[in-house]
Amino acid sequence: MGLFLNSPPLSLSRFCLLTLLFFVVFLSPSGKLVQIEHALTAVGSGQTSLGIKAANGVVIATEKKLPSILVDETSVQKIQSLTPNIGVVYSGMGPDFRVLVRKSRKQAEQYHRLYKEPIPVTQLVRETAAVMQEFTQSGGVRPFGVSLLVAGFDDNGPQLYQVDPSGSYFSWKASAMGKNVSNAKTFLEKRYTDDMELDDAVHTAILTLKEGFEGQISGKNIEIGIIGTDKKFRVLTPAEIDDYLAEVE
Amino acid sequence: MEVLEGFAAAPSFEIPNSSDFDGFQKDAIQMVKPAKGTTTLAFIFKEGVMVAADSRASMGGYISSQSVKKIIEINPYMLGTMAGGAADCQFWHRNLGVKCRRHELANKRRISVAGASKLLANILYSYRGMGLSVGTMIAGWDETGPGLYYVDSEGGRLKGTRFSVGSGSPYAYGVLDNGYRYDLSVEEAAELARRAIYHATFRDGASGGVASVYYVGPNGWKKLSGDDVGELHYNYYPVTPSTVDQEMAEVTVA
Amino acid sequence: MSIFEYNGSAVVAMVGKNCFAIASDRRLGVQLQTIATDFQKIYRIHDKLFLGLSGLGTDAQTLYQRLVYQHKLYQLREERDMKPETFASLVSARLYEKRFGPYFCQPVIAGLSDEDKPFICTMDSIGAKELAKDFVVSGTASESLYGACEAMFKPDMEPEELFETISQALLSSVDRDCLSGWGGHVYVVTPTEVKERILKGRMD
Repeated sequence: MGLFLNSPPLSLSRFCLLTLLFFVVFLSPSGKLVQIEHALTAVGSGQTSLGIKAANGVVIATEKKLPSILVDETSVQKIQSLTPNIGVVYSGMGPDFRVLVRKSRKQAEQYHRLYKEPIPVTQLVRETAAVMQEFTQSGGVRPFGVSLLVAGFDDNGPQLYQVDPSGSYFSWKASAMGKNVSNAKTFLEKRYTDDMELDDAVHTAILTLKEGFEGQISGKNIEIGIIGTDKKFRVLTPAEIDDYLAEVE
Repeated sequence: MEVLEGFAAAPSFEIPNSSDFDGFQKDAIQMVKPAKGTTTLAFIFKEGVMVAADSRASMGGYISSQSVKKIIEINPYMLGTMAGGAADCQFWHRNLGVKCRRHELANKRRISVAGASKLLANILYSYRGMGLSVGTMIAGWDETGPGLYYVDSEGGRLKGTRFSVGSGSPYAYGVLDNGYRYDLSVEEAAELARRAIYHATFRDGASGGVASVYYVGPNGWKKLSGDDVGELHYNYYPVTPSTVDQEMAEVTVA
Repeated sequence: MSIFEYNGSAVVAMVGKNCFAIASDRRLGVQLQTIATDFQKIYRIHDKLFLGLSGLGTDAQTLYQRLVYQHKLYQLREERDMKPETFASLVSARLYEKRFGPYFCQPVIAGLSDEDKPFICTMDSIGAKELAKDFVVSGTASESLYGACEAMFKPDMEPEELFETISQALLSSVDRDCLSGWGGHVYVVTPTEVKERILKGRMD
């Protein structure tokens, strides 16, 4: 090192005051990652979401229970679009979801910038899952407390994926997650058919949500996102949901 | 100063914005000058002198002609070859032809090859540094037998038995030096010359077209052949159909 | 002398009826000196996608290797071949990455889409795409090629006629160029097959 003419060298004690902070991820003796268990618990106690893949499209839906009637329900959007032809919904922790949405959108844009072609659903799901996996293995971070349902329509037709905090993902014909998962899945298993049209799927989604819903269901306390052969993902307005609700009743 | 206002300034030419105007002018001339790339050769052997050349004229990368006469017939006993600027070569060879004829009329005998080549060399030397571009061989038969001189626009004049001039000359020399013997027959010498030109046209991008071969003997010059190099190649190297060996070939992904 | 003209090259691609052809010369030189007459300038990316690279030979090979590498990763990731348009975008992106120290190449991309629709395009060395419906050219003989193609091209040619046309256009063009020629290499690609032919040409 060179000579110090005016200023004295930094005292070593200054560095000693700094303490390195990091988390270490350990496998428990049973072989389970406890942090992921916690994350899955967060998902399991989250609000119910579900998705159904129809013959000509996909629907995703979720409860939107707000902590107080004073909250402006129009300011809460649990279903988000990632690209024009891909939408996503979550069960679990809202803030974690927002982080994932931002990362996924960035990934989709990067793909589009490179290839001038919309990112295929599988690719975006894989990239998102990779991010979630990385957060189970890196120091200083915790896994995401959310599971995602990704609905998309591309050259490979309608697609529905579920991504879990561990980073594992599967393609589903219909799936559910959150508080009411087992009832909802049982209900879906009974109602699901391969030749289901998108409108039927929306009806089934509403009925499934209704099953485990505490209180009166309405266009203001659930959200529905659909994508059909037009390959345009769209979140239904409360008015549209109310129309569907009227049909179901 | 006010008096001058309203009057047009003296007309003037715009001068190119260059710190080295002479250099610029030289470069500019060089750009429009064809016949830069060439292969010419000549050699003395037992029976006389063999002279050969390609026929390509190029401007930069562009081939402006494939049928240039690069062997100039100065008189029935003397040939000149052409390399460098086409116009410079053509003009000064014709000029040389005139001078040779006047020598003949004045002295009642043909000029020697040495004399003719010196006339040309002296002219070129007088223009030295002014941008002429000539690389030529003067080949002929005079009272002393076969004669061969190399003359260029830098003022050089060399007597010799074997020369090649132009961008393809290294390749031609390779073949020529390898196959040359003094006691070659006319047929063998012609074939050697043709082959040397062919190999030069193959390797040198600026040479090509037709390989012309001239022979100068005791009875003056004679054109022996003019072969299209495009065909000559496949005479020398007949093609046997074969599959392409692909470098860096890949395994097809299922 | 331009670095693009250091080795010499001629590449051309033409569109036919449900098919395309891509052709190049075979010379590799160092300025005017011919070094090799069996140099590959057209590369296969997959059975329905070809890449022609004119310009500096060393950069062409390096660029090709990078592109193949990326295409292979794409194949593994997405379990499909790249569409020609997508590949063109990839090439363009990779070229612009080197905006201030480019690969001295001018690529020609020719392929058949999933619906067997022919696609051709070319780019400058920093990735500006130029799509065409009829033909694209590049290399030291590009001016002659433009002339030849402009005169000889007809729309909707069948594969046989397309081969004849592109070959004649290539051979007549390189005969006016000092730095390219010495034989030709032609690929004619239809939805069902790829025909590859070596052309005899003037060797001067």
